[in-house]
Amino acid sequence: MSENQSKLSARRGLDNNLFERIARLAEEQGGTPSREALRSLAEEFLIGEAALYGTATFYDFLKPENRGKEVYVCDGSSCLCAGTQPAVEAALRKHFAEEQIGHMTCLGRCHENAAFQYKGKNYSGMTEEEIHGLFTAEAGEPLTGQYLVESLGPDVLTAADGGPEEWKAALRKALALSPEAWTEEVKHSALRGRGGAGFPIGIKLEACRKAEGLQRYIVCNADEGDPAAFTDRFLLEERPHRVLLGMVLAGYAAGASRGVVYIRGEYPESVLAIEQAVSDLERAGCAGTGILDTDFDFHFKVIKAQGAYICGEETALLASIEGQRPVVRTRPPYPVEQGLFLQPTVVNNVETLANLPYIALEGGAAFRQIGTADSTGTKLLSLDSGFARPGVYEVPMGTALQKVVYELGGGFAGKVKALHIGGPLGGLVPVSKIPELSVDFESFKEQGFLLGHASVLCLPESMPLVKYLEHLFDFTAKESCGKCFPCRLGSVRGRELLQKAQQEDYKIDPDLFEDLLDTLERGSLCALGGGMPLPVRNALAYFEEELRSYFA
Amino acid sequence: MATAYINDQAYTIEKGESILQFLRRHLGGQPVPTLCDAPNLKAYGSCRICSVEVAREKGGAKRTLASCHTPVDAGQYIYTHTKSLRKLRRNIIELVLTDHPLDCLTCEVNGNCELQDVAAETGIRKVRYPAGANHLHYEKDLSHPYLTADLSKCINCYRCLRACDEVQGEMVISVAGRGFDSRIVMGMDQDFLHSNCVSCGACAQACPTSAISDVYESKSIEYTRKTRTVCTYCGVGCNLEVATVNGSIKSIQAPYDAEVNQGHTCLKGRYAFTFYDHPDRLRTPLKRQGDEFVPISWEEAYDLFAERLKKIKAEHGPDAIAGISSSRCTNEENYLMQKFMRAVIGTNNIDGCARVCHSPTALGMQRTFGTGAATNSIEDLQYTDCILLIGANPTEAHPVTGAKIKQQAMKGKTLIVIDPRKTELARYADYHLALRPGTNVAVLNMMMYFIIEEGLVDKTFVKSRTEGYEDFERQIRALDIEALENLSGVPREQVRQAAIAYATAPAAMSFHGLGVTEHFQGTFAVMQIADLAMITGNIGRRGVGVNPLRGQNNVQGAADMGVQPHQGAGYLDVTDPQVRARYEAFYGVQLPSEVGYKIPEMFDAALEGRLKALWIMGEDVVQTDPNSKKVMEALRQMEFVVVQELFMTETAKFADLVLPGASFLEKNGTFTNGERRVQRVQQVLPPLKDAKTDGQIIVDMMNRLGYQQPDYDAADLLEREISQIVPFFRGIRWERLGQNGLQWPVAEDGSDTKILHTEEFKLGKGRLWFANFEETEEIKKHGKDFPFILTTNRNLVHYNCGAMTRRTRNRLLITEDVLYIHPEDAAQYGIAESDWVCLESARGKVDIRAHLSEEVQRGILSTTFHFPEILINEITSDVLDTEAACPEYKVVAVRIRKARRGNGMATEAMASVENRS
Repeated sequence: MSENQSKLSARRGLDNNLFERIARLAEEQGGTPSREALRSLAEEFLIGEAALYGTATFYDFLKPENRGKEVYVCDGSSCLCAGTQPAVEAALRKHFAEEQIGHMTCLGRCHENAAFQYKGKNYSGMTEEEIHGLFTAEAGEPLTGQYLVESLGPDVLTAADGGPEEWKAALRKALALSPEAWTEEVKHSALRGRGGAGFPIGIKLEACRKAEGLQRYIVCNADEGDPAAFTDRFLLEERPHRVLLGMVLAGYAAGASRGVVYIRGEYPESVLAIEQAVSDLERAGCAGTGILDTDFDFHFKVIKAQGAYICGEETALLASIEGQRPVVRTRPPYPVEQGLFLQPTVVNNVETLANLPYIALEGGAAFRQIGTADSTGTKLLSLDSGFARPGVYEVPMGTALQKVVYELGGGFAGKVKALHIGGPLGGLVPVSKIPELSVDFESFKEQGFLLGHASVLCLPESMPLVKYLEHLFDFTAKESCGKCFPCRLGSVRGRELLQKAQQEDYKIDPDLFEDLLDTLERGSLCALGGGMPLPVRNALAYFEEELRSYFA
Repeated sequence: MATAYINDQAYTIEKGESILQFLRRHLGGQPVPTLCDAPNLKAYGSCRICSVEVAREKGGAKRTLASCHTPVDAGQYIYTHTKSLRKLRRNIIELVLTDHPLDCLTCEVNGNCELQDVAAETGIRKVRYPAGANHLHYEKDLSHPYLTADLSKCINCYRCLRACDEVQGEMVISVAGRGFDSRIVMGMDQDFLHSNCVSCGACAQACPTSAISDVYESKSIEYTRKTRTVCTYCGVGCNLEVATVNGSIKSIQAPYDAEVNQGHTCLKGRYAFTFYDHPDRLRTPLKRQGDEFVPISWEEAYDLFAERLKKIKAEHGPDAIAGISSSRCTNEENYLMQKFMRAVIGTNNIDGCARVCHSPTALGMQRTFGTGAATNSIEDLQYTDCILLIGANPTEAHPVTGAKIKQQAMKGKTLIVIDPRKTELARYADYHLALRPGTNVAVLNMMMYFIIEEGLVDKTFVKSRTEGYEDFERQIRALDIEALENLSGVPREQVRQAAIAYATAPAAMSFHGLGVTEHFQGTFAVMQIADLAMITGNIGRRGVGVNPLRGQNNVQGAADMGVQPHQGAGYLDVTDPQVRARYEAFYGVQLPSEVGYKIPEMFDAALEGRLKALWIMGEDVVQTDPNSKKVMEALRQMEFVVVQELFMTETAKFADLVLPGASFLEKNGTFTNGERRVQRVQQVLPPLKDAKTDGQIIVDMMNRLGYQQPDYDAADLLEREISQIVPFFRGIRWERLGQNGLQWPVAEDGSDTKILHTEEFKLGKGRLWFANFEETEEIKKHGKDFPFILTTNRNLVHYNCGAMTRRTRNRLLITEDVLYIHPEDAAQYGIAESDWVCLESARGKVDIRAHLSEEVQRGILSTTFHFPEILINEITSDVLDTEAACPEYKVVAVRIRKARRGNGMATEAMASVENRS
């Protein structure tokens, strides 16, 4: 990261945002910005043109190879396991040339798969006819997209939105307290971040408020692109006001008057829903200048991301908003001290923020009543198409996984050998371990897994594990920012070893493989390289027999 | 005291340091291997090689953490070389080697490669991974005269692009793509030459392998013999490390421990050294015979020289002889030159190039503060809150200081630029007051008017430290702001805001250059800059002050040594009998009591027959002084002109005797940079065969003329003479100067001074002076017939008359002087890019190619005078600063038309100008 670039980008800030300007150029210029346009943008922002070129070439939807892409096929883990994509691609090839077809990693349609994006809308093309219909009908019809949403116990997140009255009630309760007292209330709830690390949000809010700075920001990380996770998508599209209200409430606690919602470009409908919700909130006096006639201001900025999984990592996300290459920054300083534009910033995930209105309305103590002592509140889980009843489910923390899988999910649709829970960096849970797990941070950690986003993907019996592991290495290799040596190089070497073992008479040296995993795990700068060995180790431990033939 | 443990041994920790800094502080050297770390860059955390294991308690669970960016914490148990760490490091290097050419033996950095060293340290024997994807196919980039890239050897540590960003501030290097295919790009995936690269070489020095290097292969292991010295180009005074093999110079790098430049320098310092043994170097004395020069021996040369001086002195008296000393020479040589003129010839006719650059600074600051030198140090840039830059373009002319200012400006420090041109730094400025050339006094007065109007005067400072305020304020308040606004062309509201920004900053610091001094009202403008600092209390502490950006490497030193007609060594007044008595006792001879000629007066005296002989050491007055025709005529008129030079310059062509001097690489001595820092110049090589150090030539002549002076020995001269006679050099000794020099005044005990005037001024109280704006004669006389204003300046690539830089590969980067003209002005005259333009002033005309640029406003033209082919000074004026007689290079009334010669072609030269602008 470049301090100079942060500061120069900050001169134009969020209102004339460099990242959005680059994205707009790509949109106007056929998928990637021209060098001439980047040059004049560089001149305007006083940033070296090389730097802007570096930014543009990083993202899937900005890089030169994106020019002329018309349709994008999902190549996420769930669609891979469901095996729907070869047919989708074949059907699309009847309407598009090969070079017009691109890929996106996870459109969040894991409940039915066969996902693709066309002209800023996502579809699931269950049959060739359906896909054909989209391009021949007068106006393309959205192809399905429905999933079940249910709650087991308190519906903190899934409850229907109560509208302006409820928003105002929540705000009034919080704003009646001092920011310090409201922060205490949040701390009392013991709400922990839902993005994976489980860090208590109250501590972040307090640290941000106390840090030295000219402007404070709340950033909603809506770019957590874990394949098979669509809980955030649910909240963004179905409960957008709750998410935004959570940001306003966080802003009040942290002393921040600006909020950024950074949303995955793979979720175009989420961007629209959030934009609509922002204006709803503003109209109701729940956002903008002088909220509920107090002197508290909170202004939203919605930014559409451009296709880079690494932007789910908070420091990369902040660099992205600044228009820098979204490579991971070292910490400390943490974002609460030097975040967006090097100012104090709280970055939290969608689901975490969406809990705050409940805490405002019902109090921290009530929230703490839900869940376990260390993992309070509820957790959303997304169950993919491998289940009989795919969908989004809200359960109190501590709920037995068995209950989720067999009661809410209705068991498996086909033969399943393992669950991949918590995204590509989450653990690979063999079916036999399901009864030993409950939905909370501690249980998963103790058992050598990771709750993460609590996305649940079914690994069918038919999916060879070696192929799935290759897919995981491939995902990391494609999404690595390229900064730290272990991840940049190790992800590719891991993929190559697994490919070679499948394609040739080659046996992987187990010591070498162990060294590779150890290097990734201990050496990587962020959780992408550092986290990817977990499912691999789970696979080696629980499916040794299936994998044995690939190793020397 | 808080402690942490290194391999179970307790050590004290310091607040804010990283584990790596903590380890280095206690263990020294390289306590753990690193690759992405560099001394002048921020911690980055990409290579992970520096990882250590950290436990909260002895024997507790260990976490692996990168030491470069993890803060050290009290009670940590840090382990640096456990078995598992060795394995981790070996495994990382193994991954690196899967994508690195294994051709170490033929690599230019073999033996001096950080990757090789770290690989050896980890004990890696083989790469176990099967052959896979790699980037060994990348092609070399050999487009640039100096910089080279072979990215197949890149390990993606990004030190190059961090250096480009964090040190130079250009952002010319970036990364394209992501993950495994992340690759270094120059510009927008261009090559070095076609990118906006400023050729500083910071990337090449930063690169741990030879992925980015230079044509001199400066990281070669063979270059072990290195001499530390000081750059000969600008007044920044960069320290350089010059590598030699078998008596020839191989390359130059910048030492990281240099206080002045911290491992950085510019393309002139780093790469423009090959002039030193260029075939054009003068290698023997030459005597004029008719239109020819014939080589003669030193004996003959000295005989001739001595005989002619004796004769002229006998016939016309000592004041018929004058000397022009050289700011490119050492303090010791300058001291000798003025001593020669004063003590041996018996005249005060000694002057130097400061006359034509910063003489108004010296005079103006002496009048206001009492000391004609920068009040603060460049390091104060870190501590200031507001930078006021007036008439200076340091990113071109003082590149390392320019880069430091740019770094501050990019990070949001308030920057006010007063300059008619949209310079690089003006782009980053909060306030760019783009005035009409020649109206500095008007704008500075406006600033002071608004400061007084807004009640922002620091009354306490004014009361306790200055005198003359009441009068001053009355005169300022009486100004006609509307008139000044119209004259300068700067909107008053903009001036008001800039004035408020300067006055309200807790610490504001000004820098100025020749755009202030080389004017009809140069000295007055300097005095106003001093006034501005005084009325706002910006004097005498960190981050404030008045800081002239001195032009030549030793222009400060030349003046300090007495190279000026009114003051001897140490700025002592030669007309003061007490002072003279002291000098006379010291030199053992009688000294003249009259003030001597300033350079422009020398030419007038020559034309009037009063001056008969002139000894010019290292100064090309024909090419660089204004109104060249007059200068040439003056040289022709004199009976005897001696030019001591490296090359047959335009001036040397007028000499009767040419003496081959030596470059900075061939001598010992000291240079004093723009922040009063006296630094050691250390001989890298002996002078070229038959050339002599300039100091020795002067000593030889002193002895010839019967004055006993020991052979040139800088250390000895410094100790026995200079420190004895120059008050502010009192404590300076050769050994004490060490690696980083000392900033004068240096007390007896050797302690030096970073900030002047902390308690009181040299004058006691600072003096506030008022001066009203007055239009220059040039405009008054010629403005009507010559409606454009030409202003002359410098570019990054070439230095002054270009005698040195044109004899290096720099000539491949910029090959000619060009005329910057606003596109609308060009269109009006039917001038297209690269067209020849006839530029005419009241003195004459020259043809020059046009470069269309919005860097200049309409009605303003600008160019450089680095090339003798276009002798731009044929048209500059001989209007002088009213006080210090510094010529007004910055305002030349001209008219333009498309020249009759053929249309311009888009040459390589233009392409390179294009790229740089």
